[in-house]
Amino acid sequence: MATHEAALRTHDAAHARAAEGSGVLAWLTTVDHKRIGILYGSTAFAFLLIGGLEALLIRTQLLRPHMGVVSAQTYNALFTMHGTTMIFLAVMPLNAAFFNYIVPLMIGARDVAFPRLNALSYWIFLAGALFLNASFLVGTPPDAGWFGYANLTTRPFSPGPNVDFWLLSLQVLGASSVIAAVNFIVTILNMRAPGMTLMRMPLFVWMTLVTQFLIVLAFPSVTVGLIFLMFDRFLGTHFYDVAAGGDLHLWQHLFWIFGHPEVYILILPAFGIVSEVLPTFSRKPLFGAPVVIYSGVLIGFFGFGVWSHHMFAVGMGPVADAAFSIATMLIAVPTGVKIFNWLATMWGGRIRPTVAFHYAAGLVALFTIGGLSGVMHASPPVDLQQHDSYFVVAHMHYVLIGGSLIGIFAGLYYWWPKMTGRMLDERLGRLQFWLVVLGFNVAFFPQHFLGALGMPRRIYTYGVGSGWELWNLVSSVGAYVLGIGVLLFVLIAARSLRSGPRAPADPWDARTLEWRTSSPPPVHDFDAIPPVYGRDSFWREKYGDARGRKPAPRPETPDPHGIHLPSPSFWPVVIALGIGTAAVGALLHTALVVIGAGITVVGAFAFALQHHRDPAHVVQIGNLGVDHRKLAMWVFLGSECFFFGTLIATYIAYKGRSVVGPLPHEILNIPLTTLSTFDLLMSSLLMVLALAAVQRDDRAQSRLWLAGTALFGLIFLGFQAYEFTHFVHEGLTLQSNLFGSTFFVLTGFHGGHVTLGVLWLLALLVLDLRGRLAVSDSIKVEVAALYWHFVDIVWIVIFTLVYLLP
Amino acid sequence: MTEPLQATQHEHASIGTYVRVAVILCIVTALEFTVIYIRRLTPILLPLLLVLSAGKFALVVMFYMHLRYDAKPLTFFFVSALLLASGIALALMTLTGDFLVFKR
Repeated sequence: MATHEAALRTHDAAHARAAEGSGVLAWLTTVDHKRIGILYGSTAFAFLLIGGLEALLIRTQLLRPHMGVVSAQTYNALFTMHGTTMIFLAVMPLNAAFFNYIVPLMIGARDVAFPRLNALSYWIFLAGALFLNASFLVGTPPDAGWFGYANLTTRPFSPGPNVDFWLLSLQVLGASSVIAAVNFIVTILNMRAPGMTLMRMPLFVWMTLVTQFLIVLAFPSVTVGLIFLMFDRFLGTHFYDVAAGGDLHLWQHLFWIFGHPEVYILILPAFGIVSEVLPTFSRKPLFGAPVVIYSGVLIGFFGFGVWSHHMFAVGMGPVADAAFSIATMLIAVPTGVKIFNWLATMWGGRIRPTVAFHYAAGLVALFTIGGLSGVMHASPPVDLQQHDSYFVVAHMHYVLIGGSLIGIFAGLYYWWPKMTGRMLDERLGRLQFWLVVLGFNVAFFPQHFLGALGMPRRIYTYGVGSGWELWNLVSSVGAYVLGIGVLLFVLIAARSLRSGPRAPADPWDARTLEWRTSSPPPVHDFDAIPPVYGRDSFWREKYGDARGRKPAPRPETPDPHGIHLPSPSFWPVVIALGIGTAAVGALLHTALVVIGAGITVVGAFAFALQHHRDPAHVVQIGNLGVDHRKLAMWVFLGSECFFFGTLIATYIAYKGRSVVGPLPHEILNIPLTTLSTFDLLMSSLLMVLALAAVQRDDRAQSRLWLAGTALFGLIFLGFQAYEFTHFVHEGLTLQSNLFGSTFFVLTGFHGGHVTLGVLWLLALLVLDLRGRLAVSDSIKVEVAALYWHFVDIVWIVIFTLVYLLP
Repeated sequence: MTEPLQATQHEHASIGTYVRVAVILCIVTALEFTVIYIRRLTPILLPLLLVLSAGKFALVVMFYMHLRYDAKPLTFFFVSALLLASGIALALMTLTGDFLVFKR
């Protein structure tokens, strides 16, 4: 138990954060991972219901031939919004709810590494979600499909603001996801309780970690694809303009480089949940847990090498088809390993068939069906037959409902008592489970038959005598039953919150650390950091190892600095408001974009200053021996590698494809650019000198070198401004040809990064001049320096590949 | 597996090393600029420029970004991401570019 002194500090900390209260303002400014988890969960569930309603409208339209419930145009909007909503606004944030609420508890931490960034992720997510759905209010919902293939999404084919709503909201949602992912990677790697080595981490934490890496590395490619689309639509560039030499396959590649890892982003958390639920209710450890971990990592890794199996129909050629086919079949191996490990976990266990167990076992069965039809798509000849048919719709829903959503329900029934302090009704829960599972199978299994009978996806009606009438009727009836099942959960949850029995700390006799604290947990999660005795630490503490040998009790670890919880912040809401305003401005007026950008920049500075004055944690060095902020920057730079890699690859892929001039060799000024390259390289030298000066507390030198670095950065920007102006005078603009589009976007984004770096350096310089940059703050300069040097190495690559190579 | 809880101090390079790296970066940049004008090097220009560029890239990452001296997991994260990004970028160029490696 904690000492008396520690208990007092605990009490103070609890009061400090409890002072947040429970009013609207308290929720707007909260940085508590549990509250943010609840915000994610409740918002995402609301969008699950909205997406479900859209699905029921789709199924009603297809109930019988020639139904006229909605128009063809509305039908297009419904399937576009249904897909986008379910993926980005329902399943991803429902998973995020568990990441937020459960992961810190599972690893014995008091909060995430960056609590305010965590709040920022949620509010940006909400801004993107509301912006997307605002399209309904103005009567122009997106209608080009959830994967928005170019050139259907370009201005000539989608002239209205429908696609603008879609692409802008996806950019905003992507920013939210990447910020959250960096946060959770640092949290998991750096904030584990003493003794919790990586291989002792619960499976849900492992799958969360793999998922966050997938988000960080996969989102940049679709971000770049959306940037190209945005530039094509708003500024007249030619990325997806075939007449100007553009290649429509580029969008498909960029989308699916993200899109296939996205499938694992959606499913791996569910695998993690099942890997917690099955051992608890089988009263056995997870069979072959290390193999399940390695399988999850392998799935994540292979997930990056299979994207083109979504594109077998475009004609990539036999070699590419064969490579992606083999990679896709390979990914079934680690997935199959997991299935067998779950079965072996249940085998011989003393099973308690709770609703959570029902759902977990249901996932094993239903996901297997979706997985098997996925292996069928790995074969290009088979895929060509099934492509764009209802067979694919069936497969996708067996993976995303049979896998993800069923897994999420398992997690809801399992962790609800921990999150709310109330039990759910198990009897009604069983009824709800059977309604969902029966409704789901009746709705989607017949769609395999419809696909085999040749029914294409996305058609808004069909004729009598097509042979599709019976299975469409059955499918629609199943969808209604599924809808009733989901609604029943709302009733069960409401009853639980109103009058459910109180939940004890450990209602399931479970195995992991989150059950070691009260239900719901106190504001500071644990009075003292819990001891870790191995994998399934709490179980070992209660019952010992397989032979019943209990470990020698270890004392809990009181925090040497007391319990420090960061104060609430309204800056995350302000920044999200700025981003939302800028997005609205993109559709209405440039002035609003400027205002939104201004609010965002001011908010970001205030946010950073708040962190400077009131750090989230007293000690920022974690398990890896690295500062949280430095680790976060390195993870972010990994994401930036993908961002710039994609931009550079596009420049090279499009090189020589412009149908009109000016061309690179006619216009690029290599001597001038060599000078600007020298300048940027020297700025890196000044940056390391600045860092060294801050570290040895040499104020005069640190100010000199910080100012020098910023000045060299400004000189580089001056070179770039001169170059751009000169090119425009020579007739090369964003719109003139494919070279202009790719060149200006690539170098422009690099220039944008330099500009951000200069602003960052100037902010540090101001802090230094005001005497607020001590030796202990050198990590802040080091993090800025890492960003600056990265911008430098990106330029080294651009200089060679864009300017020097003939 | 033992993992440290306290701050691990990593030695960084000396000022002299930073300056030497800067000098090498300048020399290599000057070399890059020069070789593109030497006609006899045209056949090997592509690999030559790529090697020189990779060398500069590595010097900045190792010395200025301190990966040579810092915790090994940081190198693992960055190099893994860099390799994966490079592989995907190469595949993207191959699959959409004019210089198709594979016949369609």
